[in-house]
Amino acid sequence: MNGTIPGVPRLRAAAAGNLRLGALIVLLVALTLGMAQLEPLFRALFPDLGNPLYRRDSFLNLMLAHIGLVLVSSLISVVVGVAAGLFVTRPAGREFEPMVSSLAAIGQTFPPAAVLAIAVPLAGFGFAPTIIALTLYGLLPVIQNTIAGLGTVPATTLEAARGNGMSASQILMRVELPLAMQVIIAGVRISVIINIGTATIGSTVGAKSLGTPLIAGLVGNNLAYVIQGALLVGLLAIVTDLLFERLERHYAFGD
Amino acid sequence: MIELKGLTKTYAGKRVVDDISLTLESGEFGVLIGPSGCGKSTTLKMINRLVPLSGGRIVLNGDDVTDLPAEQLRRRIGYAIQSTGLFPHWTVAQNIATVPQLLKWPKSRIDDRVDELMAMFHLDPVEFRHQYPHRLSGGQAQRVGVARALAADPEVLLMDEPFGAVDPLTREVLQAEMKRVHQQTGKTIVFVTHDMDEALQLATRIALLNHGRLVQYDRPIEMMVTPADDFVREFIGQADLGLKLLSRRWVHQYQRAPSLEHHATLPGLDHCWQLDDAGRPIALEGARLDDDSERTEVKPEWTATPEMSMKEALSRMVWYRVMVLPVIDDQGRLIGEVGMQGIMGIQAANGMPAS
Repeated sequence: MNGTIPGVPRLRAAAAGNLRLGALIVLLVALTLGMAQLEPLFRALFPDLGNPLYRRDSFLNLMLAHIGLVLVSSLISVVVGVAAGLFVTRPAGREFEPMVSSLAAIGQTFPPAAVLAIAVPLAGFGFAPTIIALTLYGLLPVIQNTIAGLGTVPATTLEAARGNGMSASQILMRVELPLAMQVIIAGVRISVIINIGTATIGSTVGAKSLGTPLIAGLVGNNLAYVIQGALLVGLLAIVTDLLFERLERHYAFGD
Repeated sequence: MIELKGLTKTYAGKRVVDDISLTLESGEFGVLIGPSGCGKSTTLKMINRLVPLSGGRIVLNGDDVTDLPAEQLRRRIGYAIQSTGLFPHWTVAQNIATVPQLLKWPKSRIDDRVDELMAMFHLDPVEFRHQYPHRLSGGQAQRVGVARALAADPEVLLMDEPFGAVDPLTREVLQAEMKRVHQQTGKTIVFVTHDMDEALQLATRIALLNHGRLVQYDRPIEMMVTPADDFVREFIGQADLGLKLLSRRWVHQYQRAPSLEHHATLPGLDHCWQLDDAGRPIALEGARLDDDSERTEVKPEWTATPEMSMKEALSRMVWYRVMVLPVIDDQGRLIGEVGMQGIMGIQAANGMPAS
């Protein structure tokens, strides 16, 4: 993308990176579909447990529900966060910048468990309160990075864009957003990774996720359940992080 | 043609541009110059309305600039700035094509235009077309910046200290190129600088500003010879005024027929050129600064061309210790000579050389 011809060491590093990412994806899929095949292993590791494999739901269902929670909440965070970041960097919304920044910061300082506690009476149990908590929690990195990313666009570049006759919307779409994209995506990456971890606590209010075996294991003192849930959440977070790293690199322009 | 009529800009009650009126004819190279904070950049940016006017009018080829939508106006006016403002996420070709893209030119026309401009600025299309700005040197980036400003064949080219951020050597090369491009395209140019040597090198008209007011608007020679007041005199600098004058004189104004045999009786001509079969000078007999009888082999480093400034010619005479330089055409043939006596002679005979 940045027009350089990668040298051999860089090609090798890229090939090694591809291999690692591929291996992790295979592992993630294999564990999601084939956790039951590991039952002898867990039985050997935890001989005292009567039931060392979580069976109340398939790990595929839990994984899909988990991804669904993260996807929906992150989508809302990104749409609202980028829109808010854009609004407060336009001339019309500039005065709202301190307010929006501090609101987002407050959203971040609230522990998600506390948000859940407040959201349950309002939105009931399950999916909805979890989405509210995750969205609020994931908003700050998106807003902050949108503002910071737009702030990295050099003043001379903007002056050149105006001086060459671009309209405000053309400057935004052709210059500001592409140049800010790397930083914005870094913010989305943080937000999504946080939410992959945080979504597990949604299970305390009845939302189905990879947190379900985790919570069940903690409540029932079943370490095998905890490991099975945590392993998949951890792997999902690592794979997602590596995918975002690639996406970010795609928007790096030299300097 | 650009007319500024009573142009005024007020910031917080302070007049940073104060009632400036001047007319720049089509094809002229106008330079706005002055100390920092004199309002030269503000004046320039009012022409393409990056800075809104507080008072007065700007008329561009008959149209009042405030009558046009700002974006439309700016697409008619090329704009090049210091440190280029190139779009870092676009290739050289995409950067140059900025305004043609906005004007929705067909792709083939844009491609042709990009190639034409890259040729004009000596940028090899194979090497640079798909290069990103961060891979360019300062001089190359600045060339792309000027090429972008010229891409849609604008009526006027505005340049805001475009060579302020490049090293002195590159700046000289870019100035020479700018001069050539101006002659090739005949564009009307408004150029902002704080460097008087740059102004004298490039301008056909200089507007000297101080505290937002126009102090003097004149041809470079007139500004040097008849400065309006002490401020102008001081700003031009007295120390090497003679050299500054010579930087605005050209070899073709001073050259005379070459001496092909010794004339011991004529002053300043007691030397002669030896030519090869093609008429190219190969050696100079006599006219050495130190030893008048010596034979000196002609080297390209101390030849002159008709378009060279007399300052440059004088510099070569001094550095290579010869009293006279051969003037050659593009094939390297001897077409005249220019000498130390020549410089003094014209100055003495005509008082001041006419422009």
